[in-house]
Amino acid sequence: MSGGTIEITDLAVRYGAVPAVNGISFTVGQGEHVTLLGPSGCGKTTTLRAVAGLEEPVGGSIRIDGETVFSTAQRRNVPTERRGVSMVFQSYAVWPHMSVVENVAYGLRVRKLPRAQVAEAVERALDLVQMRSLADRSAALLSGGQQQRVALARAIAFSPTVLLFDEPLSNLDAKLRAEMRVELRALQRRLGVTSLYVTHDQEEALAISDRVIVMNVGGIEQIGAPEDIYNRPKTRFVADFVGSANLIGGRITAAATTPGPVNFEVAAGLTLQAWAAHAPHGNESHVAIRTAYIDMGSFTPDGKDNCASGTIRQRLFHGDFIQYIVHWPGGELTVRRPPTELFDEGAAVTLSFAREHCILLEG
Amino acid sequence: MRDRRARLKLPSSQDAVSVLVLVFCCVLVLYPMVYLVVLSVNVGDPLTFPPEELGIEHYQDLLESWQVIANTAFVACIATVMAILIGFLAAWALTRTQLPGVAWLERLMQLPYYMTPLVGALAWSILAAPRTGFLNQLWHAVGAGGDLVNAYSAWGIAWVMALFEGTVAFVMISAAMKSMDPALEESARVLGAGKWRVMLTVTLPLVLPGVAGAAVFVFAEMLGSFAAAFVLGIPARFVVITTAIWQAVTMYPSDYGRAAALGIGLFAVMFLTLSLYRAAIRRGHFATISGKAFRPRAMQVGRLAWILFALCLAYVIAAVVLPLAVLLLTSFERFATVILPQAEFTLANYETAFGFTAIRLALTNSLILGVGVATVGVAIMTVLVWIIYRSRAPGHGAIEYLVMFPQAVPRLVFGLALMQVWLIIPIPIYGTLWLMALAYFTVLMPLGVRTLAGVALQIDKSLEECARVCGASWGYRMRTVTLPLMRPGIIAAWLLVFIASVRELGVSIFLVGSNAKVIAPSIIDAWLSSSSTLSSALALIQSAAVFIALTIMLHAARRYSRELP
Repeated sequence: MSGGTIEITDLAVRYGAVPAVNGISFTVGQGEHVTLLGPSGCGKTTTLRAVAGLEEPVGGSIRIDGETVFSTAQRRNVPTERRGVSMVFQSYAVWPHMSVVENVAYGLRVRKLPRAQVAEAVERALDLVQMRSLADRSAALLSGGQQQRVALARAIAFSPTVLLFDEPLSNLDAKLRAEMRVELRALQRRLGVTSLYVTHDQEEALAISDRVIVMNVGGIEQIGAPEDIYNRPKTRFVADFVGSANLIGGRITAAATTPGPVNFEVAAGLTLQAWAAHAPHGNESHVAIRTAYIDMGSFTPDGKDNCASGTIRQRLFHGDFIQYIVHWPGGELTVRRPPTELFDEGAAVTLSFAREHCILLEG
Repeated sequence: MRDRRARLKLPSSQDAVSVLVLVFCCVLVLYPMVYLVVLSVNVGDPLTFPPEELGIEHYQDLLESWQVIANTAFVACIATVMAILIGFLAAWALTRTQLPGVAWLERLMQLPYYMTPLVGALAWSILAAPRTGFLNQLWHAVGAGGDLVNAYSAWGIAWVMALFEGTVAFVMISAAMKSMDPALEESARVLGAGKWRVMLTVTLPLVLPGVAGAAVFVFAEMLGSFAAAFVLGIPARFVVITTAIWQAVTMYPSDYGRAAALGIGLFAVMFLTLSLYRAAIRRGHFATISGKAFRPRAMQVGRLAWILFALCLAYVIAAVVLPLAVLLLTSFERFATVILPQAEFTLANYETAFGFTAIRLALTNSLILGVGVATVGVAIMTVLVWIIYRSRAPGHGAIEYLVMFPQAVPRLVFGLALMQVWLIIPIPIYGTLWLMALAYFTVLMPLGVRTLAGVALQIDKSLEECARVCGASWGYRMRTVTLPLMRPGIIAAWLLVFIASVRELGVSIFLVGSNAKVIAPSIIDAWLSSSSTLSSALALIQSAAVFIALTIMLHAARRYSRELP
């Protein structure tokens, strides 16, 4: 299975008078897995449905595998059924009046493939999702996880060039979701199919994507590899929405104009050594520090970029980590440490974090 | 090729289809009504169109027949009160108290809906006729003087109507009671309120919109009812608006202007009442309905349970068992009598029903119409439902309104309007089955569309979208996904439309021709020629057809409810 590309230019979608997507552009490369991440109502699902042809945009163009399927300039709108894409729906949309095999074979039968070829492709798809043993069961009798697998098998059975996922894991319970995440990633690698994936779950997005597109109120906040998004958030929204971060207000002191080290004054007497991933324009107001990147202990502060002393206000035991609220000269700081590093509430501690982890935000 | 088809975008074929449908519905639904309005203000020669002289004399005449209007209001009011009492008691007993055999009783309670007011009126005219009626004979037998009951009166009409509409009220009120979140009551209990206090301060106020809605709806139905008022009112010279319309048309010479004015007046009141109903349910919506299905906790009522049980059973007996039994008895008699030693038993009535050409023809015609209208009609209604609830075609709201419009027109009035229109339209279908079919389709559209929409709205949109994404064209999608998923709704709609066609009276009575007789007006004819034995046989044959269809429907419903959880 070889993937196609998706190119989206200035895409705009409106529901009545309400704008849902405001002229966004991005591309998905061949075999790439790109995720649209954002809170509900940010336009991510609308974008995906526009690619599928289920929503009619009011502006821009969509090209799939080099062919223009939608363009306002060319007055062109290829209907969904002739776009050659495939999609996994949030509700799975497994047809309850058909058996598992009939569901999976649907896209192949639509294409009028010979019987033997259909059977072979269905078997292959069911094997991939480990559902072969339930092939003849009525779809109405499947559990949520099984329906999810059938929906996936159905989506890949007819070898689409592009695979679209609309929050496919959101209806599963947490345990199953984690398992499916692993499987989905493995499957996507194996098939090498171009995928556009929508989710509001940042963990899911970071775990399974080649690139993540963070969206908010109909626009794109940042595009990048998962590590980039996490380590180098561009905006306050991204820093806040993806992972957990401390946002600290202040201003840059020296007027640096190239990307690299900058000094950031939080309060009188407290200046942080920060890092700018972009060329600073001088009126940036915040830096972001990931809660997991802050060291905490009773070490002596020498040779570290940023160091300060603080007092632990509150401790919340989460199991996989412990979250501390620490009072420090810049106000309050949230710090997450592994459960092995246990401090008491009220204890005096030293905090430190590297310059590369203190990211100057663009806006 | 791909390019050319893709480029054909703006004003799509879908838009064109929906405009066509809109125009079609307008012609079907609104044109006859507009014509009727014109007729009601035509004071010149009633057979010329457009009219030569306009005036409101016909409406002024109505004021002189205030007695008719008062009669109508009186019957509708007492019948509504009775029906709501029956419906409320039964709904409360079955959803809120612990009755023995609830599931079984609930199904029985819906049976009266499948009896027609015509059948009920015929049966009760035999059961409660003055002097000769079964109940009065019993009364005399125990030595009492005078008559116990008299079916040929306003109370008789109201009683028969209430028996028929009671089940409608029951279904509507119990829906309101069932959809109430029990947490609302439970939180009152937790805060310390007693059982009866909860009932008065929480349950009743929450259910009240539902009860009011049912009352308004039933009242509107009562206004437009014809059969009971005809069978029981005409002998007593007790005339209501519907029977007055019938008299105005059938007397010689016909007074179409008066009939039209009466019809428009009745329509206006009914339309207003139903608008009130729509507003009421929309407001009541928020209070009780939360989208989930609850099984409210039932109350322990002790010995009262058996009294309530007996009341529910008595209702079913009065509305279904007794009427069918007395019709069965009468249909096998040579002369109608309830004094069994005097009865002469015979099969002659059934021989006439199946042997006499005019009646046999009416039976066959009714079946042909039932099957034809149900088959073709439901196919068209399915497309309508798809356009209204699934496509984003412009004007689908207007189509929905038009499709539901016939609900607000009394059947008899619509029949009158259609008769007038097709008398002047130069397409020769007046007096044929074609016109009947068209009329049935129009008046049964709300019933079919509502049934289909109930199922269509439950189908998740993504099931269809997924088929699109898989590459299926519109036709393929309909065939493999949409229609199979709608099958339970389609079967139910088919049977309901069939049942309604077979027993249709209001529209038919003005549209039957010598070559297009149907069963319900034939029952009336038989009754008018004072043969209650033959009309009993016919009524039973009609009821049999209805109950066979009903059995199939219940059977199919059970099958599909197992298949699709």
